[in-house]
Amino acid sequence: MSMIPTMRHVRGFDVVRPLSIGMLMFMMLPLVFLPLLSIFIFGTSKGLASFWSALTASEAVFALKLSMVTSFWATVFNVVFGLFAAYVISRHNFWGRNALIVTISLPTAIPTAVAGFALLLLWGPYGTLGRFLAPHGIQIMFTAGAIILANIFVTFPLAFGVIKPVFDTMSRSLEEASATIGATRWQTFWHVTLPSLRGAIVSGALLTFARAVGEFGSTILVSGNLAGRTQTAPLYIFAKFNEGQIEAANAIAIVLALFSFLIFSVLFFAREWLDVD
Amino acid sequence: MAASAVKIVPEMTPAIDPSPATPQPAASVRAISKRFGQTSVLEDITFDVAEGEALVLLGASGSGKTTILRVIAGLEQPYTGKIILHGKDVTELPARERGVGVIFQSYALFPKMTVEKNIGYGLRIRRRPRKEIKKAVNELLSLVQLEEHRKKYPSQLSGGQQQRVAIARTLAYKPEVLLFDEPFGALDAQTRVHLRREIRVLLKKVNVPAIFITHDQEEALELGDRIAVINTGHIEQIGTPEQIYNHPASEYVATFLGAANILDGVFRFDNVEICGALIGAEVDPTRFKDGQPIKLAFRPEDVSLSKTDNLPDGVCRLSHGVVEEISFAGAYERLSVRLDLMPAPAEKSGDTPYYLTTETPENPTAKPIIATRTKPEASKMKLRVRDHVVVGLTSFTVLPVTAAE
Ligand SMILES: Nc1ncnc2c1ncn2[C@@H]1O[C@H](COP(=O)(O)OP(=O)(O)O)[C@@H](O)[C@H]1O
Ligand SMILES: [Mg+2]
Repeated sequence: MSMIPTMRHVRGFDVVRPLSIGMLMFMMLPLVFLPLLSIFIFGTSKGLASFWSALTASEAVFALKLSMVTSFWATVFNVVFGLFAAYVISRHNFWGRNALIVTISLPTAIPTAVAGFALLLLWGPYGTLGRFLAPHGIQIMFTAGAIILANIFVTFPLAFGVIKPVFDTMSRSLEEASATIGATRWQTFWHVTLPSLRGAIVSGALLTFARAVGEFGSTILVSGNLAGRTQTAPLYIFAKFNEGQIEAANAIAIVLALFSFLIFSVLFFAREWLDVD
Repeated sequence: MAASAVKIVPEMTPAIDPSPATPQPAASVRAISKRFGQTSVLEDITFDVAEGEALVLLGASGSGKTTILRVIAGLEQPYTGKIILHGKDVTELPARERGVGVIFQSYALFPKMTVEKNIGYGLRIRRRPRKEIKKAVNELLSLVQLEEHRKKYPSQLSGGQQQRVAIARTLAYKPEVLLFDEPFGALDAQTRVHLRREIRVLLKKVNVPAIFITHDQEEALELGDRIAVINTGHIEQIGTPEQIYNHPASEYVATFLGAANILDGVFRFDNVEICGALIGAEVDPTRFKDGQPIKLAFRPEDVSLSKTDNLPDGVCRLSHGVVEEISFAGAYERLSVRLDLMPAPAEKSGDTPYYLTTETPENPTAKPIIATRTKPEASKMKLRVRDHVVVGLTSFTVLPVTAAE
């Protein structure tokens, strides 16, 4: 027993270091690297031409576009909302403040299928609110609007979670200085507060967008999954896979994988820029 | 006879400066009090700042200085009282409509704006023409000597440069009054001395009234045309540095601003009695009642020592004493002298028991008094430890014993 620590330090050679790094890599291999790699291997196995035709199939293009558009609007909403919520919560102390923070953060902990189901129960034709809207011909579920609602729900706390800590650590004296110089609240927010939040807003938006583009569980429940109408990219992958059209599914999978890879590269490598300036 | 030259303070409790320097002060703080919840932080704060004057609020940390400043700036609402700027009551106005320039302790420069942008901010939000802003920024940059740093960001500047940007940023919109919160707190000792000279010159140039906050007495003496000493939320005394230093109105002021020896005594026969000995000072008889306990305060440099009984003219004889310690303190010699005063016998009730303190009112143990002598004084009459001396005072102040003590 007592030999082990001594051995480790023989001639300053540390066995633990290369061993642990190697083990980490090895564990990642089947868990992350190989699955990602196989998407690319399979997707391009029949040549680039067939990959391209799978990608440009009208339903595939529609699914990608729909994913982008619905994720975009969900992101816009959640960033604006997250900014507002973070401002209110970090600038004011009020009764129920902590309860509100928990509530805002809750959607991440709810299974996405449950989230989609909950939306159906509220807005669906027989839902709590939906049944009053249905007679007026207003149908929210099974439309692009429903997809946006579901995206908003499941990505709700992401932007808020990134922006709030920045608000909390921001020195109040900057805003006070701006006020004494003569700025209105709005001018102070626009010229002083917002520039300091730029990094947090960009990374919050990218996180929200990446998460929304990949959303499946809630979308499949609320969208109706109609090809060419309410089918987002992840739903398209699932549908084509079920129909046995592996190649069609694979082409979109590659696009989504590359896309998230891109977003996280931006988040990772532009960190300097996002934080500092 | 000897006592005729002793300086005795005319009024002893002028919490309010009776005569503002100009008919209409630039800024006037009237009976401000402030509470945070149940705790009272400021009580009845009243003072004026004249046009072009620099007033220093001097007080220990936590005494309420920053709160006074924030109330003037409109960042904090007072519980009672008024703030008047150039004759206009601004108590109800929000910070942005007051036109007050605040130089925050941390400078609070906008980190995402260059030096130029920071300085021009006040004019940009006032939607001034671009040409006018550019001209004003250029003038201010040269005033604070930062022309070559105009494109830099605050994080690329030294503490002193950041402070000058902060000053220029407030001067841009011609503030009614400048408020400095511990402006040199974050700087090293050398820069501090250098910068406060610069700021003094700058203020005289722009002629904007200023209120400085500090807990540093040396800074207060150098920066202030007048000093207000703040103690736990109230003004102990307000006056010129000379008045405050030479004629402190309370033991707190005497010990906070510079070193002071404090002796307990009794007012008797229009004189000061210490341990049964009348020290031969003429004290205004209307100020105290016969037999009332008082305190005698004097600075170390006001102590005159002699080996013979012949004290110089105008020096008031205090007692005999023995030199206990001599130390060299650079520009002067510092001696501690134990006085031959004996504690009052306990049966002489009514008298305060005799004790000596130096510097700290909290420490009432018997201590020798501290005297300092300049080099020429020291070389004219060499003193050694255990020498017997006659102790006289060239100047002293008689203070009432306040209820709080
Ligand atoms: N926002 C606040 N809430 C509660 N107490 C405060 C607040 N600001 C200051 N105080 C209290 O008021 C007192 C004076 O504070 P301050 O004006 O900052 O003193 P100074 O600037 O002289 O150090 C302190 O005891 C401080 O704890
Ligand atoms: Mg302070």
